[in-house]
Parts: sequence; C-alpha cells; structure tokens
Amino acid sequence: MPDESNITDEVILPPECVVEEKWIDRIVVVSAAGTVDMLTSPKLEERINAAVAQKPAALVVDLTDVEFLASAGMSVLIAAHQQTPEDVAFAVVADGPVTGRPLKLVGVADIVDVYPTLDEALAKLAA
Amino acid sequence: MPAAESRYHSEVADAVSVGRLREEFSRWLRRFGLSADRHADLVLAVNEALANTAEFAYRRHSHPGAVTLTVRCDPATDSLLVTVTDEGVWREPRDDGNPQLRGRGIPLMEALADEVVIDSSATGTTVRMRFDQVSNPSSAMA
Repeated sequence: MPDESNITDEVILPPECVVEEKWIDRIVVVSAAGTVDMLTSPKLEERINAAVAQKPAALVVDLTDVEFLASAGMSVLIAAHQQTPEDVAFAVVADGPVTGRPLKLVGVADIVDVYPTLDEALAKLAA
Repeated sequence: MPAAESRYHSEVADAVSVGRLREEFSRWLRRFGLSADRHADLVLAVNEALANTAEFAYRRHSHPGAVTLTVRCDPATDSLLVTVTDEGVWREPRDDGNPQLRGRGIPLMEALADEVVIDSSATGTTVRMRFDQVSNPSSAMA
C-alpha cells in the first residue's frame, strides 16, 4: 500500500519557464513551456517585448506547452495586447484546463483573440 | 473520500515559496482523483491566494513574513476547505487607470471556488475557500 505521507517528501524543483521565438514570414511566435506564474512571467514579458521591438506583422503567444498559468501570466497577455501597435495583429494559443479554461473564466478571452491551436491562429492571421 | 488535514508552511512568502506550496498542494490533491478541469481549478485558486500574500501582505515590511496553507476535507459535506494565512496587511491593488491590467487573483478565486471569504485584521489576513463535491466519483460508485 503506498504511503501517502511521503508524497510531499519528493523533491520539488522551482518552476521553470522556457520561452522560444520563431518567425514565420513576418509573423513572430513566442512560445512558452512549463510554468507561467508570478516568478516566471517577467521572462515571458521580456521576450514578448523584444519580439514586438523587431516590428513583426503579427505576434502570436503560444501557450500550448504551458503546464500552469497564473493570473500574473494573464496580465502579461493583456499588457502585450495593449502594447502591440494597432497595425500588428495579436493572438494567443491556449486550450484545455490549465490555460484556455481560466482565460475564458475571467474574461481575458474576451479581450484578446484566443485560438486552440497554433495552426488555427496562423491561418487566421495569414488570411 | 480520504479524511485528512495537511498543513504547508513557509517562513518567507515570496514567489519561490508560492511555487513550492502550490506544487505540494497539487500533489496532495491527486488522491482525490478529480477531473483535469477541477484539479486545475483548485490549484489555480490556491495559487492566487498564495500569490496575493506574496505580493501584497508584506509590502510595508522590509522582509516578507510567513504564509501557511491548510487543507482539510470534510466528508460530511463532501467539501474541501482551504485556508491561506499570513501575518501581514493586504494593500488593495491601486487602480492605476488601466482596468484591464488590474489583478485577476481575487476574481479568479471567486470564479473557481464555491465560496471565498477574506478576513483581514491588524494582525494578518486569512483567505478561506470552500470547494464542494470533491469526492472521487469512481470510489463513490464502488
């Protein structure tokens, strides 16, 4: 019988967030993987700002591989939406219980365009 | 439903300990076998209560103080009771004229929990959240 009292004795590593940037023509995709919380969201924000500074035609923030999204990360998305120049389209890729669902619950999905997959976001932006 | 109470504590309410306490809670919560949606909801709600402590409670202090997370299930009401306690004073996030950027922590907790009560006093703040219907449907059918 498993001893449940030992569950929290497992090593808990600090949350990590890996952010990558890729270009598809003039569309920049900033993708995050891992945890986007109050500790790691400044890193995502910096990378988004750096991408916007390179004057893309459109910006996509891809949260497909995010395992935890806190309100601090949602604020980064709202700030990105507000700071992106009007002629630069902005989209977020998020789906499922840890990203898509909470973004809808608190109305972030009413402010920014959220797509369930990167392909759908790119198709919309290329149209 | 497992009858259990667990307590997680950090002497320093900062972003690192928020991550650690959140992960400890998530692991404790696994025993309930909740749906992925429900599990994620509870972890996010608890994170936001912890994050508010780390962000607001000790703003007037030179160093952040302690934060304690207590989780208890109540088999009689089939609910999970979570409290997050600190010894600081929450400062209401200022309205900086940018309502879209205002914190979503408390609205998230209210959307995700069945009840949220925030008690602030001069000696600290306690957030109480109740989550109903947490029994594992598969074990209930057995």
